[in-house]
Amino acid sequence: MASTPALLELDHVSRRLSGHPVLQDVSFSLSRDEVLGLLGVNGAGKSTTLAIIAGVLQPDAGSVRIDGKDVNDDARTLRDRIGWVPESVPLWPELTVAESLDACGRLRGLPKSARKTASERELGRLELNDIAQRLCGQLSLGQKRRVGLAQALLHEPDLLVLDEPGNGLDPVQAAQLRERIGKLKPKRGIILSSHDLAEVEAMCDRVVILHDGRVRHDAKLDASLDARRGKLDAQFRAIVSRPASVAA
Amino acid sequence: MSALAVARIDLKRLAVRPFAWTLAGIALAMMAWQFLLGVSAFIHAQPTVPGPASGPGYVDAVVAPYLLNYIQLCLVIAPLITMQALAGDRGAQRLALLAASGASGAQIVFGKFAARLVFLWLLLIIVATMPLVLGGATHPDWGQFGAALIASALCVAALTAIGIACSAFTSEPALAATAALLIGEGLSLIDAGVRISGGEGGWLGYFALHTHLEPAMRGLMRSEDIVYFLIVVALALALAIRRVGAERERG
Repeated sequence: MASTPALLELDHVSRRLSGHPVLQDVSFSLSRDEVLGLLGVNGAGKSTTLAIIAGVLQPDAGSVRIDGKDVNDDARTLRDRIGWVPESVPLWPELTVAESLDACGRLRGLPKSARKTASERELGRLELNDIAQRLCGQLSLGQKRRVGLAQALLHEPDLLVLDEPGNGLDPVQAAQLRERIGKLKPKRGIILSSHDLAEVEAMCDRVVILHDGRVRHDAKLDASLDARRGKLDAQFRAIVSRPASVAA
Repeated sequence: MSALAVARIDLKRLAVRPFAWTLAGIALAMMAWQFLLGVSAFIHAQPTVPGPASGPGYVDAVVAPYLLNYIQLCLVIAPLITMQALAGDRGAQRLALLAASGASGAQIVFGKFAARLVFLWLLLIIVATMPLVLGGATHPDWGQFGAALIASALCVAALTAIGIACSAFTSEPALAATAALLIGEGLSLIDAGVRISGGEGGWLGYFALHTHLEPAMRGLMRSEDIVYFLIVVALALALAIRRVGAERERG
């Protein structure tokens, strides 16, 4: 009997930017109901990996598959199954939060009634009702991140791609974000990048460590948070402190 | 669908931007002043003794120079209104958001172009309303009026497309505006030297905006002029689409 394909598969993906190899032969997979943390130092290739998954960048080699289908074969349909929130949340500062969500729904081709329903659902889910009529340009960073998440969830994607979701948030906002992401996990796969090892330990089921554009570590985290504590930090430090040639 | 969605988002953004309103206000104030000057000169040039009309009519003396003045103004307005279109969105990751939403390079460019064109055409309609209100009193040549208006609309489309193309090639809106202004002024002045010395523009003249606007301002709508403006629009938008489409490869 054939096994069910993973929700997301990266198969030997490589990418150069400005002539410099950013990703080299990166392969990993993600299944439904799983939160995968992508770790790495600055310049390790985390954001590039996520941009490739979101379809914003094209890999030079290798493929990205959603449920076993190459995203380039049916880009429009498969992209509708992905929700992406980049590190600096792209918002239209002149539009209100409600208008912004409506605009995203329009871009996704949702009909008017579906847009209204989806906007109301996300405004409620991410507790944005109080600021629905505020201009996006006037929001705090935490609020912007919530709006970005709402935009990404509007079309109910199977795969959520979050680039540094906790970056710049205060501890209270970061804890709230962790709680929200935890609630989003059922029925979808989530991949997020972070510098914050504690955040990854708290939220993720599995971790992939990228260093110098290559996957250096790909393993499930211990089931209990107490058992995880400190282990990831030690593994991460050991990997990023090794010279590239040794790590390879 | 996506091109329409992009256009609607950008029109909404333009409608709430103080910059767009300020630009429109200044442009309309300048055009109103130009119109009053034109009408005043036209009234003073009228013969005091009644007789058969022989001099230039209302469209020749007032409307054509007035619409040419709007084109001159658009050489500045079009770069200013288009500079943020792609350059600003690229810097703020909004271009990536549009791409991640499934919009193709062509849909993004067409949407952005359409939104700016609607804005500048609305301005043109308001500008054209001023001479129209005197239509009943001056018996204008409506055919000439229409030709001048169509040529102006096509020229505005060409300048908008040039602005969009310049915006596609940089992340700095000011750089995009400067490039579009230089290209627009270049097309406007390319045959100026030859014209001033009284010669024919030749092949250089074919590239000049002036060559393709003047016949229409006299009431002559030539297909070669329409083709010229359409080629400029198509070429500029094709370059912009190519650049935006290559974003996924370039990073």
